[in-house]
Amino acid sequence: MSTPAKRRLMRDFKRIQLDAPSGVSASPVPDNVMYWNAVIIGPADTPFEDGTFRLAMQFDEQYPNKPPLVKFLSTMFHPNVYATGELCLDILQNRWSPTYDVSSILTSIQSLLNDPNISSPANVEAANLYKDHRSQYVKRVRETVENSWNEDDSDEDEDGEDEEDDDE
Amino acid sequence: MKVNIKHWHGVATWHWQTQNDELCGICRVPFDGHCPSCRYPGDTCPLILGKGCSHNFHLHCILKWLEQSSSKGLCPMCRQIFTATVLEGVGAPDEIAQLQELENSHRVAREQAEVGDAYELPNDVL
Repeated sequence: MSTPAKRRLMRDFKRIQLDAPSGVSASPVPDNVMYWNAVIIGPADTPFEDGTFRLAMQFDEQYPNKPPLVKFLSTMFHPNVYATGELCLDILQNRWSPTYDVSSILTSIQSLLNDPNISSPANVEAANLYKDHRSQYVKRVRETVENSWNEDDSDEDEDGEDEEDDDE
Repeated sequence: MKVNIKHWHGVATWHWQTQNDELCGICRVPFDGHCPSCRYPGDTCPLILGKGCSHNFHLHCILKWLEQSSSKGLCPMCRQIFTATVLEGVGAPDEIAQLQELENSHRVAREQAEVGDAYELPNDVL
């Protein structure tokens, strides 16, 4: 069934396919245009460089008048990302605008990676290391970058990379 | 040679008189098309021109945004207070009235917020 939200999401999809911002990609899952998987590549010349960070985006029928729920599936070490993968980003909360689309959300998250907002941390440890022990912070981030390469096919269970194909 | 014209059909094209942005920023459909809730473009799915900020939207798109209390009555493009220039003779009168009501209720909420503390809209401003 076609709804305004779904029609808008198909436009978002067309736009990101024709004209994807560099370092981000996203597509809806095959049978549900309201649920998207996305990847953000860590920007060059930052500790996040070359990381392939996966995210999930859940839209509802109020989109684009309400923001989607966005969370990282990859393990992150970042001052504005909670342990659950949820993020603290103003444009996904009180500064949302219906002119945003999938491309612009992902570009914003990409630039948040190297430009964290320290004043309201979601991960206090990451915020403190970022402020006071930058080299340790960078080391922890580099670990998540390496992790991001290993978790590709093993979706939720991150330790199970040895299992060949566990789809039943 | 003598020609007798038996029938003729007038053909015309139209478009909204907008400056240059050709897409509605909310639904990303061209202004000359219709919003996602309508089936036909034109007078029943008109454009609304921003008065303060010159950003334009389909009437139905900006209505749905302003219905959200989280919109705070601001333009989705530039976050200035949104006020509309309504083109004469377009749009259903009740929808235009609803737009103006929403603008007003956001204005009232802003004024109250200046006096009190939290910015809180009276639930459902319809």
